[in-house]
Amino acid sequence: MVKKFIQKLYIALLFLFLYAPIAVLIVLSFNKSKSRAKWGGFTLNWYKELFANEQIMNALYTTLVLALVSALIATIIGTAASIAMNSMKRTPRTILMGITNIPMLNADIVTGISLMLIFVAIHYTLGFTSVLIAHITFNIPYVILSVMPKLKQTNKNTYEAALDLGASHFYAFRKVILPDIFPGIMSGFLLAFTMSLDDFVITHFTKGPGINTLSTKIYTEVRKGIKPEMYALSTLLFLSVLTLLILINRAPKEETAKKNKKQRIHNESKRNYSFLKPVIAVVAISALIIGSLVGMNSTSGGDTLNVYNWGEYIDPDVITMFEQETGIKVVYDEFEMNEEMFPKVETGAVKYDVVCPSDYMVQRMIDADLLSELNYDNIPNIKYIGKDYLQSAESFDPGNKYFVPYCWGTVGILYNKTMVDEPIDSWGAIFDEKYKNNILMINSVRDALGIALKYLGYSLNSTNKEELKEATQLLIDQKPLVQSYVVDQVRDSMIGNNAAIGIIYSGEAIYTQRENSDLVYVVPKEGSNIWIDGWVIPKNSEHKENAEKFINFLCRPDIALLNFEYITYSTPNTAAKEMIEDDDIRNSKVAFPDSSIISNCETFQYLGDEMTAYYDEKWREVMSQ
Amino acid sequence: MNKKKWLATPYVVWLAAFIIIPLILIVYYGLTNDSGNFTLEHVKNIATHNNMKALLLSLKLSLISTIICLLLAYPLAMILTKIKMNSHSFIVLIFILPMWMNFLLRTLAWQTLLEKNGVINTILGHLGLPGISIINTSGAIILGMVYNFLPFMVLPIYNTLIKLDQNVINAARDLGANSTQTFMKIIFPLSLPGVVSGITMVFVPALTTFVISDILGGAKILLIGNIIEQDFRSSRWNVGSGLSLVLMIFILLSMAILAKYDKDSEGTNIW
Repeated sequence: MVKKFIQKLYIALLFLFLYAPIAVLIVLSFNKSKSRAKWGGFTLNWYKELFANEQIMNALYTTLVLALVSALIATIIGTAASIAMNSMKRTPRTILMGITNIPMLNADIVTGISLMLIFVAIHYTLGFTSVLIAHITFNIPYVILSVMPKLKQTNKNTYEAALDLGASHFYAFRKVILPDIFPGIMSGFLLAFTMSLDDFVITHFTKGPGINTLSTKIYTEVRKGIKPEMYALSTLLFLSVLTLLILINRAPKEETAKKNKKQRIHNESKRNYSFLKPVIAVVAISALIIGSLVGMNSTSGGDTLNVYNWGEYIDPDVITMFEQETGIKVVYDEFEMNEEMFPKVETGAVKYDVVCPSDYMVQRMIDADLLSELNYDNIPNIKYIGKDYLQSAESFDPGNKYFVPYCWGTVGILYNKTMVDEPIDSWGAIFDEKYKNNILMINSVRDALGIALKYLGYSLNSTNKEELKEATQLLIDQKPLVQSYVVDQVRDSMIGNNAAIGIIYSGEAIYTQRENSDLVYVVPKEGSNIWIDGWVIPKNSEHKENAEKFINFLCRPDIALLNFEYITYSTPNTAAKEMIEDDDIRNSKVAFPDSSIISNCETFQYLGDEMTAYYDEKWREVMSQ
Repeated sequence: MNKKKWLATPYVVWLAAFIIIPLILIVYYGLTNDSGNFTLEHVKNIATHNNMKALLLSLKLSLISTIICLLLAYPLAMILTKIKMNSHSFIVLIFILPMWMNFLLRTLAWQTLLEKNGVINTILGHLGLPGISIINTSGAIILGMVYNFLPFMVLPIYNTLIKLDQNVINAARDLGANSTQTFMKIIFPLSLPGVVSGITMVFVPALTTFVISDILGGAKILLIGNIIEQDFRSSRWNVGSGLSLVLMIFILLSMAILAKYDKDSEGTNIW
C-alpha cells in the first residue's frame, strides 16, 4: 500500500511540475492587468479582444495551416520512403536512415540556419513557402521513425501469400500491409503536427516578413510583455484539445491486454482504430479554426506596403485606419534592436518599404547607401513636426533628406521608491553594492556601454579604446550585482516589484508608472542618451509612394496623438502634443523633459564599422563573463 | 519488391535539397572568410576564452539536465506501464498535450513562478518558509531544460518498457531472480534503446538551446546556442557557421558514443 501511495505521489508531483506553468498561463488569461507581474482582478475581456485581434488570428491561421499541410506532406513522403527503404538492401538503407536522423539529431538552430542559408543562396524570398519546406523537412523523420518499426513487424510472407493468391501489388499492399502500418502512419502524422505547432527556432530563421506563427509572434512579444490575448488563445486551444481528448477517451473502451503486443497489433489492428482518435480530434479542431478564419485572411492583392518597425511601436488601430483610408494593405513586421534590423535591410532578402531606425543607425544606413531620398511633396504633414526635432536630426541626416522623426526620448533610471534608501539621481546607483541583485541592466550594446562611459565622465560616442576598456571593466565588475539583463522585460519586473532599479526608455516609464505608482523615472545628473526614432525608405523599396503616404499619415496630428496615447513615447509632433487632454501627461517631465535635461544628453552617432565591431566585442566580453 | 524502390525518390530528392546541400553550405561558410577564401579561423574561434566557456557551460548544463530527466523519467515510465489505462495513446497524449501551449509561453510562465515576488515565493511566504531565488541562475536554466524536454525522455522509455515481453521477466523470476536482479539484468538492459533515444532527444536540444537560457537565465548566462544565434542575428554568418560546425561535431561524437549502446537504432522512437 505504501508503495502504491508513493507511486501515486510521485506521478502527482511530476504532473504538477508539467502542468503548473500551464495553470499560470490560464490564470493570466483572466488577469485584468496587462502586466504579467501583477494581478489586477478578474476579467473576461481578453477573450473578447482576442477575436478582434487580427494579428493574433492571422498567426493562428498560419500556424494551423502550416502544421496541417506540413504534417500531411511529410506523412506522404515519409510513408512512401519507409516502404521503399524497408525493401532496400542493408547498406543503402543504413545510409538513408543515417541521413534521416540528421534533422532529429542536429541542433534546431543549425537546421534552421542551414535552411535559411540555402534559401538566401538561391535568392528565394523568405515567406510562407520557405517555412513550409523547413517544417516538412524536420517532420519527415518523425513519420519515418513511426512507420519503420511497424513495417518491420509486418510479416513478409503474408504479403507474398497475397501475391501468390493473385492479388496485384497495389491490392496486396492496401489489404495486407497498410492496415498493419496504419497506426504508425497516424502517430507519425500526429507527432509531425505537434512538432510543427510547437516549433520556434526553425521558423524563426526561415520566415519572411508578415509571416508569423504563434511561436514567432510570441517571441517578439516576450520582450515587451506578452499580450494577454495570447494567454486567452492558448487557454482556448489547450482546453478544447483537452476536452476533445477526454470525450473520445471515455467512449467505448478497448485493448486491456497489453502483454504480447506484437500479436495484438497483428490480430486486432484491422478492427482497432483507437489510435485514430487523437488524429481525428486534432484535424477536426484545426480544420474548424482554419475554416472560420479563412474569410478574414483574404489578402486582397493589389497595393501593399511592407512596414518594418520596433515591437509594440504603433497603435494597431492606426494601421487599420490607414488601410481603410488608402486601400493599401499593410504587411507589418517587427524588430527588437537596430543591429538586428540593419542586416535584413542590407541583404535585401526582404524588400521593406518603410523602416523605423534610430538616429545613429540612420547615419549608418545613409553611409551604406541603403536609403532613398524622401519626396516632401508627398509628405505635407511634415509641417506638424517641431522644428527643433528636425534640426537635431540634421546631426545624422544633414539636410533632412531621408528621415522623418516619429518618437523620441531619453534613457534613464526607473526606481521603486519603497525599495531604495534615498532618491536616486546618479548612474552610481546601478554600480552600488547595496543594490546587489536588485538591478536590471539594459541588454543592448550602445546603451550599456554608453551608460558606463557617461558615468566615467566620457562621451557616449567615445572612440578612445582606453576609455572603452575602462567602461567594459566597470560593466564586468557590475555583473555580480545585476539581477538580469533585459530590454523591455524591465517593464514587467519593475511593475511586479521584482527589482529596485532598472534602466528604461522614457516612453516605457510612463506605462510602468500607470501600473505601479511607486516607480520614479530620473535622467541621471551625469547625463544620458537622448534618442530619436523615425521613418526612412530603403532604396530597394518597391512601393515608395505608398511609403510616403504612410509617413504622411503618421504625421497627421490626430494620428500622432492616437499613437502617443497607445505607446506613450514622446512625440515630436507639436500639434499632437497640444491636443493631449490630460494635463499631467502634457506637462509630464518624463515625456517632455526640460531643456536643462536635454542639453545634458547626447545623441548616439554611428562610429564606423570598425568601431562598431569593437563595441560589439567589448559587450560580448561583458556578457560572457 | 524492387518496384517499391522508386517510392523513395521524392524523399531522396528532398534529403539532397534540404538537408545535404544546406549542411554543405554551413561547412562552406564555416570554412571560408568574407571574400570566399579557405580559412580555419572561424572554427578556431571556438577556442577563444569566451566561446570555450560557453561551450563547456552548455555541455555541463545539458549533461546535468539529461541526467535529471533520466532519473525522473525512468521510475515514472515504470509506474505508468503498470497503470491500467484504457488506452496506450492516452498516456502518450498527457505528455504531448502541454506542447499545445506554446513552449515559449510555458517557459515564460516559469518566470512568473520563480521570480522574487513570483507565485512560488508568495506561497512559500504565506507558509512562513524562506523563499527560493534561482531565477536568472544556471539552476533556472536546468529547470527549464528538464521541464521542456522531460516528455522526450519519458516517452521512448515508456515505449520500450511496455513492449517488453512479460514472459522474459516471468522466466527470470521463475529462475530465482529477485526484483533488483530482474531489473538490473533483464529490464534495464532491454530498455536501453529507449534510454538511448531519450538521452539523445534531451541532450541535443538542451546543448543547443538559446531560448531557455535567454528567458530563464536573465541573459546573464550565455550558452553556445546564444552565441551562434547572436552571430547570425548580426550577420556574422561565417563566424556563426564555424561555431555551428564545431557544435555539429560535438553532437556527432556524442551520438557515436551512444550508438554503441543502441544496436537496433532503427527500431526505437519516441512514439
